[in-house]
Formats: sequence, C-alpha cells, structure tokens
Amino acid sequence: MARPEIEGDWVMGWPDRKRAAIAAGKDAQGRVINGRSPVTQLEGLLTPTDAYYVVNQLEVPEPIHPDDWVLQIGGLVERPFEMSLKDLMKFPGRTVRAVTECAGNDAGFFDYQQRKAKKPSRINQQDMQARAAQRETNAVPSSDAISNESTTTCAVSAGEFTGVPLAEVLKKAGIKPGAVSVRFRGFDRGQPDLAVQYRSVGRSDFKLVDPGVINYEKGMPMVKALHPDTLLAWSMNGEWLTHIHGAPVRVVTPGWSGNWWVKWLEQIEVLDHLPQCYYQHHYFTYGEGPDDPKKEMITSMGVRCIILNPLDEDSPLERGSHKVQGRAWSGMGMIKRVEVSVDSGKTWHDAHLEEPVERWLWVRWSWLWEVDKPGQYQIMARATDETGRVQPQIPWNYQRKHFDGIVPTDVTVE
Amino acid sequence: MHLAVCIKYIPDPEAAFSMFSIDEAAKKVVPASGLKHVVSPFDEQAIEAALRIREAHAGTRITVITFGNELSRNALKHGLAMGADDGVLLSDAAFDDGDSYTTASVLSAALKKLGVIDLVLTGRQAADGDAGIVGAGIAELLDRPLLTFAKSVAIENSVVRVERVLEDGTETLETDLPAVVTVSNEIGAPRAPSLRETMRAARKPVQMWKAADLGLDAAMVGAAGARSVREKLFAPSKTVQCEFIEAVTPEKQGARLAARLREAKVV
Repeated sequence: MARPEIEGDWVMGWPDRKRAAIAAGKDAQGRVINGRSPVTQLEGLLTPTDAYYVVNQLEVPEPIHPDDWVLQIGGLVERPFEMSLKDLMKFPGRTVRAVTECAGNDAGFFDYQQRKAKKPSRINQQDMQARAAQRETNAVPSSDAISNESTTTCAVSAGEFTGVPLAEVLKKAGIKPGAVSVRFRGFDRGQPDLAVQYRSVGRSDFKLVDPGVINYEKGMPMVKALHPDTLLAWSMNGEWLTHIHGAPVRVVTPGWSGNWWVKWLEQIEVLDHLPQCYYQHHYFTYGEGPDDPKKEMITSMGVRCIILNPLDEDSPLERGSHKVQGRAWSGMGMIKRVEVSVDSGKTWHDAHLEEPVERWLWVRWSWLWEVDKPGQYQIMARATDETGRVQPQIPWNYQRKHFDGIVPTDVTVE
Repeated sequence: MHLAVCIKYIPDPEAAFSMFSIDEAAKKVVPASGLKHVVSPFDEQAIEAALRIREAHAGTRITVITFGNELSRNALKHGLAMGADDGVLLSDAAFDDGDSYTTASVLSAALKKLGVIDLVLTGRQAADGDAGIVGAGIAELLDRPLLTFAKSVAIENSVVRVERVLEDGTETLETDLPAVVTVSNEIGAPRAPSLRETMRAARKPVQMWKAADLGLDAAMVGAAGARSVREKLFAPSKTVQCEFIEAVTPEKQGARLAARLREAKVV
C-alpha cells in the first residue's frame, strides 16, 4: 500500500523516497518568504538546504549578484575598508557545523506548560501560506485569531557553514581601544511585521513601537564577535549560500539564536557602545511584559532536547520494543548526557549519544524501551551540556523566546 | 544619448490555438487562464537593437516603456534584465479597450514626458495583433521621421542608418535624429538576460504613469478615444467534405482523381 509520507519523488531518473522540504509560504510571485523544517522526517545531522527553516523579520530583499556585492567595514577601527566577495574569500577560511534555531521555536510549549493551552505538534505545521498572505497585506490578526492558531514549531535546522572568522576581518581593520560591540547591517529592509510580533506574545491588544522602514541590524558584544567560530559565511551545506538564506554572505554565530545570524550582510561597524537596534531591544528580549523596563536582549540558546520518536501522533503503540530517539543541543557547548524517563519523570535512564558529538551541532540520541504493560505513558527526555546546564534553563518570558522545557510525549500502549 | 524602446506584453505567440477562445459578444479574444505571457518577440529584438547601439556609444541610456496592466511589469523586468536602464509602465483603467491609435497617443505622450528621446525603437509589429501601426503612429504623433523593418540600426554623428528589409532584398536608409525605427526579426536573436543583470533589474527604477500624469483626458484614451470600430469578431467556420474516388483498377482510380481535381479547379 502506498505510504504518502514517502511517496513522490523521482531522483535522477529513479523512483525514490520523497525528498524532505520546508512547509513554505510564498509571496505573490511564488517566491518563498518563510518555511518550517520537517524535523520529524529527517535523518542524519545536517538539514538539507531545501528543508532548512526560513524566518525573516523584514521583507526578503532582491538578490545582489556576488560580483556586485561590497562589504563595508568601519567604525572604531584603524583602517576602514570595503571588500568584494573575492577579497573576503582570500582570508583564512573556517567551517563550522551548527544548529540554527529561531528564538521563537517551540514557543507554544510555554503556554502548553503554563496555561494548559493546546499542545503544539511537530507534524501538523502551521499554514505558512496564510502567514505569507498576511505579510503581503500587513494584516494584523486579532488576539482570538492568534490564540486559535497552531503555534511555532520546526523553526530549527542544522547546517555546515563555510566562511571567514569575523575576527580575521576585524584584525585587518585594526580594532581601536574602547570597542564594545560590532553592528551588523543586512540589506533586507522594510517595516517590521506587526503580526509576527503579536503572534510571538500570543495576543495583539497592546501597542508596539513603530520604527518605520529600517534595515535589519544587530549589535553583537565584542566577546562573541571575536569568537573564532563566529563567521562571515558564503557557503552552506557544501554549496554556495542561497539567496533565501542570506547570500552572498551571512553572519554565523553558533550557539546564539537565529536572529543573530544576520543575513544579506552589507555593513560591519565597530562601536564603543551597544547600539539600540530595533529588533534587539524591542523584540528579541526576555522580560515580564511589553512595558517591563528591565528587558534583556537574548543571546545564547538554552539546553534543548526533543523527542522525534515516538510522537503523540504515533499513539497507540503496540507492546514490545520501541526506539525512543531524538536530538539534543545547547547554546553553550557540547551535549554530555541525555536521560529518558517513561514514568513521568520518576526515574531516568541514560540514553545513548550517537557519534559524532560536536560543540555546536545537535546530537542524535536513542534509548530502547521495552514495554509489556498496556496503559498511558509519558515519555520524557532531558539533556545536560558540557557546562553542566540541565534542562530547563529559560524561564517563561512574555515574548516566549528560547523555550527549552521538557515536553513529554503522551502515548497509549495497547 | 537617450533611447526608448516601446514593448508589449502578449500571450505567448507559440501557444496552441486551442488556448484561445473568442467572446463574440464582447468582441474579444480570450486567452486561457494561466497562459504564459512574454515580451512580443519583435519588441525583444528592438531592445536588442538598442543594446547594440549602447555598446557602440557608451553612456547611452535605454528606457523601456510598456502599456498594460500590473502584469505588464514583467515585460519591463525582462527588458531591464536584458540590460535596459529604467522602465515606465503606462497603466490606467481608462486605457482599456483602446486601439492602435490610442496606444500610439499614450506612448507618444509618455515619450514627450521623458524629455529628449534621440531614438524611439519598437518591434515592427506586435506578435499578437500583427497590425504594425503603433510604431508609425508614434512617429506621426511626435512628428519624427520613421524607418521601418530594420535588420540593423547604427548611429553616427546624430544620423541613424538602417538596413531595411524588402521582399526581395534590403535597402539602406538614413535620417537625422531624433527618429523612430521599427525593428524586424532579421536583426537576429535577442540576448538572454544574464544572472547579474536579472539581479540588478530588480533595483532599476520603474515609474508608473496614469492618463492624468500624461496630461491626457479620459475621453482621449481607451475605448472613448479609439478611432477604429470592431464590427464583428468570430472564428471562421471550416467545413470539410470527403469524397472517395472508386474504380476497378488503380490506374482508372488515378485517372478519375485527376479529372475530379481538374473539375474542382484544384489543379
């Protein structure tokens, strides 16, 4: 019998399994402007580019040909300069394999845990085309509409990025004493999409700061900017970076959420202060509410562990053996341990960490569950990273950023 | 030097006849929904002619102009991706249901608004209507000399020289700029847009002008300003009769067929 989840593709002339691809939203010209990664369908550690999630805060800009692209480096440096992509590629290169995760990935689980809201699914994706249509018209959903939507999952992927350490470029420019941050500016431009921001909070009954038409910018503290794994990357997954992922060059900041990975880079400026970039200070923040005066910008991701088998949707399960498996990653280092519980957290068992276990990449973990007794089960998994952090690390915050809670899979065994 | 190329966005002329239907009541040809539209191939060749002139005269600016609804922006995008510098979209509901005269009027008004245009280029005809009137109309309305059916266009010392296609050869014509030239397919294949120019095209300026921007009254354009009347539009009906020629031998059958063809004055 045909299995729709694998039926479909001919690859190089041969009948083959369906290739994984994002659930996409497109603009009026049929161009992808957002997309969710089919994380439950993927094997291996690297997410194929066609299946890599896509989130943009502003409008996707028109492409720039690599030969026309120029990067400006200036600010608090001895030797401001401009360079082409060819010039950039002359620096000593570096390749990093890392998880890219949207700060709002799995945000709905905060509400599931705190308010017993509907449990988000990793299979039933949001209608990204509806969201894309909303973006085209700048429509703002009501609070009721937002609360009835399925919430954000599958905004996470992992890739291999090749480029040049930012530190090498800054070394050439010569950082002057007193430098505090590096401001990245992308050539994506537009007015912030209010729907995205209201959706992030879960309601739309409050006013947002309107910055007008802006470029996407982030101001990165110097310590992270000078980390050798912070790259200016032109390659992803072994091929040239594609436009939707920020070509010709994007910033790669392993461990920090996707909003730091500035796409379509056009300018780097060294500053003696932390700039008040709109998104950095009004959206990608921790805080108690929109008026909280003590909002903090978000940086490193917490410790994450997701169960990809079994899923709630696989219930009921037969008695026998089942491979409980998933992925774990952390914003601050290598995963050292994953534990699994099948009795709602009363007892925990060490899972097997499948090699390789890398600093910035997620790790595949697995644990064989022998179950003979019918009943309801809560399967849980929690990860610990090399800094000793155990899930969960990130408390509820009004923008629901950086969720890293322990979410059980609820199954019935018959 | 400033060149302007007038281009038209039309249903793909390579599409099968079955992709079109005729609305006799509205007197319109209706393409199937979703039918691909393209820049009229003769107009593409006019863009090619302009690009060749620019290659010989650095600093030349090429403006592409089209007339139609929002979808016609795609025609401008194509022209800009081929290498034109900027575009003008002439779009207004008041322009609807006009004829070749109103089209030439609107284009002429736009060309005047653009300032001094040294050379206006168009295809020798649009590949949908095949009327071939608009180019001549522009020349008339702008009071410029017109050279038609060009297989080559060259400019030297403010003189445009054209090799003009005739039924049995070519003739070479010259006139002073400013002038209007219509370009024929003998000029050769137009260049395909490169990746670099396609990416640049999105950033090139495109203006949209309505009738009011051109100082045109609604009564002068579209159906109200048209000078031709379409009395009737219909698909001619075809009737096919089949007659079998029978005879005892193949030779007699052939002779009868020949006699029948002579009788029908086919041979």
